[in-house]
Amino acid sequence: MPDPSGFDPAQPPTTRIATTVNGRRVARTVPLHYRVIDFVREELKLTGNKEGCGAGECGTCSMFVDGTLIKSCLAPVQKIHGKTVETVDDLDADKGMTVIQRAFHKCGASQCGYCIPGMVMAATATLRKRPEASLDEIKEGLGGNICRCTGYQKILDAVAMARDVLNGARPQADLDEAATDSFIGSRTRRLDAPAKVTGAIKYAADLWMPNMLHMQVLRSPHPHARIQRLDVGEARAMPGVECVLTCDDVPGVDNFGVFIEDQPIMARGVVRYVGEGIAAVVAETADIAREAVKRIRVTYDILPGVFDPVEAMTESAPQLHGFAPGNLCKHTRIRKGDVDAGLRAADLVVQETYRTSALEHAYLEPEAGLAYLEPDGCVTVMSPSQNIPHHRHMLARILGRPINKVRMIMSTVGGGFGGKEDMLYQGMLALAAIRTRRPVRYVFTREESIAASAKRHPFSIDYTMGLTRGGLIVATRMVMVSDGGAYAMSTPGVMNKSAILGPGPYAIPNVWVDAIGVYTNNTPSGAFRAFGAFQSEFATESHLDLCAERLGMDPAQLRRLNLMQDGATTHTRQQLDRVAATACLDAALAAARWDPGVPHREAHGEPARVDLGGPGTRAPCTLGLGTMATDKETT
Amino acid sequence: MLTFDRYVTAATLDEAFDALDASPGARLVAGATDLLPWAREGRAGDVHLPALVDVGAIPALTAVTAEDGRLRIGAATTIAACERHPLLLRDAGLLARCAVWFADDQIREQATLGGNLVNASPAGDMLPAMLAMNAQVVLARRDGAGTQERAMPLADFITGPGRTRLGANEILVRIDCDAVPGHGGAFEKVGHRRSLVISTVCLAVLARLAPAGGTLADVRIAIGAVGPVPERLGDAEAALRGQRPTPASIREAAELAADRVRSRSRQAYRREVLVNFVERGLVAALAQCGLAVQRLPKETVHA
Repeated sequence: MPDPSGFDPAQPPTTRIATTVNGRRVARTVPLHYRVIDFVREELKLTGNKEGCGAGECGTCSMFVDGTLIKSCLAPVQKIHGKTVETVDDLDADKGMTVIQRAFHKCGASQCGYCIPGMVMAATATLRKRPEASLDEIKEGLGGNICRCTGYQKILDAVAMARDVLNGARPQADLDEAATDSFIGSRTRRLDAPAKVTGAIKYAADLWMPNMLHMQVLRSPHPHARIQRLDVGEARAMPGVECVLTCDDVPGVDNFGVFIEDQPIMARGVVRYVGEGIAAVVAETADIAREAVKRIRVTYDILPGVFDPVEAMTESAPQLHGFAPGNLCKHTRIRKGDVDAGLRAADLVVQETYRTSALEHAYLEPEAGLAYLEPDGCVTVMSPSQNIPHHRHMLARILGRPINKVRMIMSTVGGGFGGKEDMLYQGMLALAAIRTRRPVRYVFTREESIAASAKRHPFSIDYTMGLTRGGLIVATRMVMVSDGGAYAMSTPGVMNKSAILGPGPYAIPNVWVDAIGVYTNNTPSGAFRAFGAFQSEFATESHLDLCAERLGMDPAQLRRLNLMQDGATTHTRQQLDRVAATACLDAALAAARWDPGVPHREAHGEPARVDLGGPGTRAPCTLGLGTMATDKETT
Repeated sequence: MLTFDRYVTAATLDEAFDALDASPGARLVAGATDLLPWAREGRAGDVHLPALVDVGAIPALTAVTAEDGRLRIGAATTIAACERHPLLLRDAGLLARCAVWFADDQIREQATLGGNLVNASPAGDMLPAMLAMNAQVVLARRDGAGTQERAMPLADFITGPGRTRLGANEILVRIDCDAVPGHGGAFEKVGHRRSLVISTVCLAVLARLAPAGGTLADVRIAIGAVGPVPERLGDAEAALRGQRPTPASIREAAELAADRVRSRSRQAYRREVLVNFVERGLVAALAQCGLAVQRLPKETVHA
C-alpha cells in the first residue's frame, strides 16, 4: 500500500477553497494538489479556458485573479482562496459577447479556437491596462499566448478594432457583418466563431459525463524491445482502478493503419518506439489511473534499434516488421523520358543533397477523447479525429463488431494539421468503454502528445538537375529517402505526394523520382500539412536558386522559363487545362517588389539588391514599454 | 505532477518557520511559476513533498525601502513590481528594463525576484541586473525564539547551475542592493522569440559619468546564460573606469567579453552576440547619461 510519505491518489489530502468565480461565490473541497486550472475546469466544470501545455507556455489557461491576468496552470489552487477569479466563460457577464469578443468574431480571429479563450483574456487585460495600446503594446500584451493556426494577424487586427470601438474612434457598427452581395471575395464571419471566442464550444477534454472514468496509458521507455513479461496485477488491485487493458483484451483483428495495417492498438509482444502504448489503466480519477500505471511491471528484452533510414535498408539492420524485408515501407517511382540522356545533353548539371528534420505539429489541443456505450451496445468515441470514417472502419475490425455498433463523433478539433489523421488512442478508449460499461475519458499531457504522436517525415534528398545554358531544365533526378518511423501510418501516401509534387510545377522532359519510406525505431512519421510536398519542393526550390546562381540568372526568371503553361501534362501524366503558375509568380514578385538579378550579387560584381526592408517589412521586436518609451529617441 | 501533504500560506515569517520546522523537507514557494513545470515529465517527473510553504504573501517579504543609498527589496517582490513600484523605478530603473524582457506579463505578475535568485538558473534574467547592482542576499533562519539573519554577496550565494548557499530551513527574505538613480542602465537579451523565452545571452550594464569631464565614474557589466553562473566583467569594467569612453575604447572593452563564453552549446554564436551586446549596452547606458557615443561600424564579412 502507499508509502506513508507518498501520495495516495485514492484518498488525496484535500483543502477547502472559498472564492468568487465569475461573480458567484463558491466553496469547494478539492485535492490539495489542484492547480487553479483544475479547480475551474474539473471542479466547477467551467471549461472555457483550456489547458494546452501545463507549463505556462501557451496561455490558453489565462484567467484573471483579483483583476490580474495569470497563467492558471502555474498557480496552486490555494492562490485563489479568498480572491476573485474571472474566466472566459462569463467574461461578458451574461450580456452577450464583449466588444473584444465581437471584434474577434468580425475579424475572423479564430481558427481552431483552442488558443482563443486565452487570447481574448490577454486582449482584455491589455486594453484594461492600456486603453490606447499601440500595436506594439498589443503584441507585447499577447506575448504570453501562442496561436498555432492563424499567424496572429487577424488576432492583432481584432484587438486593434476593439480598442478603437471602445475608445469611440470607430462606430459599434463596425463590429457587425458588412453587407455584401456575394460571399466570394468578401470577409465573412465564421459560423463557429461566437462559440470559440466565448469558450462555449466543447473540445474533447471539456466533455464530462456522469459516472465517467479516466484513462492513463503506460508507454514504452525503449525504442525496440521484446516484452517478456507484463504484470498488471498490482495496478489492477489498486482501489479505484476499474480495469487494466493490454493487447490480450482486443477481441478482433488488432491491426490498423491508413495504408498498411501494421499497428496494434497496444504493443503486442514488441515495442518499436519510445512512447508506444503498452497498457491502459481505467480508474475513478486520472490521478489513480496515473499511479496505477506506475505499478505495472514490465520486463523488457532490449533489442538493437535502427534509427537511420539508410542504415535500416541494409541487410544487417534490425528488422521491425516480418512483412517488410529491408524495412521498406513504401517505394514510389516516377519514370519519364530518359534522364541519363537528358543529363548528358545538358550544358550544366547541378548536384546537391537536401535534408529536412522531423517536425511536431504542436496543435494547441493535446489529444483527448471520450468513449461511452449506448444502451443498444453501440460504442461511441468522441475525439478530434481528422478521419472518422476510416477510424470507424478500422475500429469495427479491431473490436470485432459490426460497423453499425461503432460510432465516431468528431469533436471540435483544436488544431490538427494532419497530426490527428492517424489513429492513436481511440481503440483503447472504445475498448475501455465496452469493458467498463461506463464513459471513459482520456486527456493527453503535452509531453505525452509530443512523445506518442506522429511527426513530419524527415527527408534526405539527392538532387541532380540538368539545364541548358539558357535556363531550360532538361532532366531532374530526385532520390528521396525518408524516415517513416516504427509504423506506416501515412507514410505510403506521403511518399506518393512527395514524388508527384516534388519536381515542382515545371515542364521537364526527363524526370526520375524515387521516394522511399523506411521503417525505423523512431517516432512514427505521419500526415502533416502538404503531406510530403513540403520536403520535396523545399529541395526543388532551393536547387533552382543554386542553378540560377550557376547560370548567372535571376532566380525568378529561371522559374518563369520553366513553369508549366495551359494544357501542360504533369510528370504523372495528368492533363491540365489551365495553369495559373505564371500569374501567381508574377503577383508574388509584384507584392514583394522583387528586384531582378542573380543571387549573391556582390559576388557577381553587381550592385546589392534594393527590395529588402521596404514598407510592410516586419520590424524587429520592440524593446518594451512604459519605462522604455524614452529610449525610442536614443536608440 | 507535484503532490504534497500540506500547503501552508504563511502570513508571517514566524508561521513560515513553524511550517518548515513541522515538515522536514518542505519546500518554499512564492510565485510557483517554475515549481509546477519542474514537477513534470522530462524534468523532475512526479514529485511528492511533505509540504509547500507559501511565503509570497508575507508583508515583510514584499516591502521595498531605501536607506543610505541602498535599496532593501523584499524577496517576494514580483517581477511586475519592478516595472511599476515608484521607488524601484526611481532608484533601480535597470530592473524595469530587465523585467520587460522577463517571461511574459502574466508570469511577471506571479514570479518573484527572490525566486529567480534562488532558482539560480544560469539564464535567470534578473541575475545579471542584480549583480550589477551589487546585490546582497539576506537569509533568515530561526534562532531560538527569534530569527537570525546573514547576508552575502549574490555572487557568493550562487555556486552553480541551480545551486546556492541557502541552508535548510533558511529563507531568502530580502535583497539589498545599491540605489542607482544617477546611472544609465541597459539590459540586453536574445532568445528564439520575444516573450517567454530562455535567454541564449543576456546582459546588464550600469554606467555613471563623472559630474565634469565626461569620464566614466562608475561602470558595471554583468552577463548571463553564457556559462554555469552569471558574472561581472571585471576586466572590461577596469579598462573603462575613469576613462573618457570612446567608440574604440568601448569596442576594445567589449571584445574582452569573448573569452567568458563557457556554455555547453553554440559558443561561437554566443561570443559574437555577447561582444555586440556589451558594446550596444554600454552605448545605450551612456546615452541615458546624456553622452552620445557612436558605435564603430560593424566589421562585415562577405561570404
